[in-house]
Amino acid sequence: MNNFKDIWTVAKFTMKDMVSRKSFRISTIIILVLIVIGFNIPNFINSINGGDFSETILISDPENVFDDQLETLNTLDPNYKYEPTDDSFDEIKSKLESGDASSAITIDKTSDNVKITYITENTAMLNGFPTGLMDALSALYTNIQIQKLGLTEQQLASLVPNFEFELRQTEDQTIGGNIGVMLILSCILFFAIYFCAFQVSSSITTEKTSKIMETLVTSTSPRTIILGKTIGIGLVGLGQVLLFAITAIICAKLCLDQEILNALLDLSNFTPYLAIITIVYFILGYFAYALLYALTGSTVSKPEDIQSANTPVVILTMVGFYLSYFTLTNPTGDLNIFASLLPISSPFCMPLRVMMGLANGWDVALSIAILLIFCFIVAHIAIKVYSNAILNYGSRMTIKDIIRTYKQK
Amino acid sequence: MTGLVLDQVSKTFAGKKVVDKVSLKLDKPGVYGLLGTNGAGKTTTIRMLLGIINKDSGEITWNGQAVNRKDVNFGYLPEERGVYPKTKILDQLIYFAELKGMNKVDAEKSIRKWAKRLKVEEYLEMPAEKLSKGNQQKIQFMTAIIHDPDLVVLDEPFSGLDPVNTTILKDIIINLVKAGKYVIMSAHQMATIEEFCSDILILNKGKTVLQGNLKDIKAAYPANRVEIDVDEDINKYISPAKLTILNEKNHQYTLRISNEAEAENLLKQLVENHIKINRFEILKPTLNDIFIEKVGATSEANIATPNTLDEADAIQNDAADNQTVEETGAENE
Repeated sequence: MNNFKDIWTVAKFTMKDMVSRKSFRISTIIILVLIVIGFNIPNFINSINGGDFSETILISDPENVFDDQLETLNTLDPNYKYEPTDDSFDEIKSKLESGDASSAITIDKTSDNVKITYITENTAMLNGFPTGLMDALSALYTNIQIQKLGLTEQQLASLVPNFEFELRQTEDQTIGGNIGVMLILSCILFFAIYFCAFQVSSSITTEKTSKIMETLVTSTSPRTIILGKTIGIGLVGLGQVLLFAITAIICAKLCLDQEILNALLDLSNFTPYLAIITIVYFILGYFAYALLYALTGSTVSKPEDIQSANTPVVILTMVGFYLSYFTLTNPTGDLNIFASLLPISSPFCMPLRVMMGLANGWDVALSIAILLIFCFIVAHIAIKVYSNAILNYGSRMTIKDIIRTYKQK
Repeated sequence: MTGLVLDQVSKTFAGKKVVDKVSLKLDKPGVYGLLGTNGAGKTTTIRMLLGIINKDSGEITWNGQAVNRKDVNFGYLPEERGVYPKTKILDQLIYFAELKGMNKVDAEKSIRKWAKRLKVEEYLEMPAEKLSKGNQQKIQFMTAIIHDPDLVVLDEPFSGLDPVNTTILKDIIINLVKAGKYVIMSAHQMATIEEFCSDILILNKGKTVLQGNLKDIKAAYPANRVEIDVDEDINKYISPAKLTILNEKNHQYTLRISNEAEAENLLKQLVENHIKINRFEILKPTLNDIFIEKVGATSEANIATPNTLDEADAIQNDAADNQTVEETGAENE
């Protein structure tokens, strides 16, 4: 019991120490501000462009090809205002330069064709040819021609295509979920686990640098220190991620158009079960990586050595993340199943497989069991090396040193 | 069996025996002095008795029970001073007190009491990096005693402290002993050891070279010096007696003697020649002399054999300065 109390004492101290650090507070505030700004960008752009009609497009149809029906284009997109005009090219030019209109269209009838010229200040500034407008003009022209032909309702119906589309797949498994949500979830898990776990190694090395270690190890056991530290930093990290997530959700609700939001993030697949699975994998994934970083943190005594000592674990993290990320393009393939069981990649992979409906309870249980065993093994090695290496104030330890240290009594 | 017992304790690092069958017994409250040159094995011995590193062989018991890091609650001031630089002093002291089993309220009470005695009250709300080195050392001394341990291990407690703070610390150590505490102390200032310690152990290259009650040790040594204060030059009496002058200043002489008879002969000469003698004192060797005799000539750190006491002191001081770097370096291989 006493042991748990001590672990909690170390965790509490670690949390207080982290939260009271200026760098931590500043970076948290910066990220929060970025989240708020990010969600307000669409509103911001709208207010700059002055609300409903953002662009005016002049349309010149001297030969009246469109039978005075061009104003119907204005029902298509509220962001564009189409304004019929009889201006000459020079008059259009001066209107474009003065900013009265953003672009213009002239319509000429040749012997067989209708020629449409799109006029803009500089074609280099044009963000692609406005194919939507072309389609609309084409449809409008067809309508006008059909009306002129005076067809019956039946003849008209036979002209308008009436297709039915249906999707079928050859595989038995159906893949649910929304790719946007999945990618965001995968990245959040990766960054949260990576940044939190990384802190553990610097926290341990700082204690060696400040020579506090000898006092600390005579006050409590190495196991208590490592577990307390890992839990403390993990809780701060989890709190930080939740703070960001809540801020993002509030901002999304307040600032974004609900229709756009629902189209972007279909959260219907994000069930409570999936939320629990995600948190479990965050915690276990964090522990697995944090303990690896604790191991590397124990092997150095100078802050400048941390980076190089951590490199192998950083590479491992990257491999784990990309293995899950790229195999998601073929989620039913063997490699993705392998990634969902491998402890270095399963935290990034399995929640997504659950969301897609590809993993049943047994798959999840097996993956968690493997991850747990991995955590125990790494914890055992980390604590052993830490106990034997904490008073090593020399240069960075090599793999050989680590193995020798592990074998020490 | 009460108190601390080390029985035939040994430790080898990378094939090098750094502590070789060291035994000591501290069976009643008091201060036990641990002496030795650089790399003699003092810090390793201390780390073993605290359970920070495991011994290869031998027995270490406290009140008859084998010492186990989990069970003992010793106080320790390490030679490597360290504090959390960015953390508030009060917070880090409470942290260590809580780890040693105190609750927060008692811890804070004890911290405030000791802070007052050590004159560091005004620093409790500051981060440690804002404190001077001496004050940081006093803070660390507090972590060793706030939880009222029965055994306190102090590795070089006075190094780096000014005379005022040294006196404050000395008073506290004397009071700890009065309160029935056991203290193990390593120090390089021999005068400090002589002032405090009832028993001493001198280590050289991991081996015990001298051990026992300080008074008995000194009694067993024959007189080795004589100090004379006269009003005129007495070199003409000293030279024929073939005595070495260790120091001469304003007709005050310190001479090396190999036995008391030599001094008595010189005194006879001076009296017969009607020299006015203000002071004539035959002296037993100091702990410094004994240390140099036992360790100085053979130790790697003191390869130069001192010819005079002053020279010996100089070597001694050098050794003290190098202590931190060399000892930890050698012992952590």
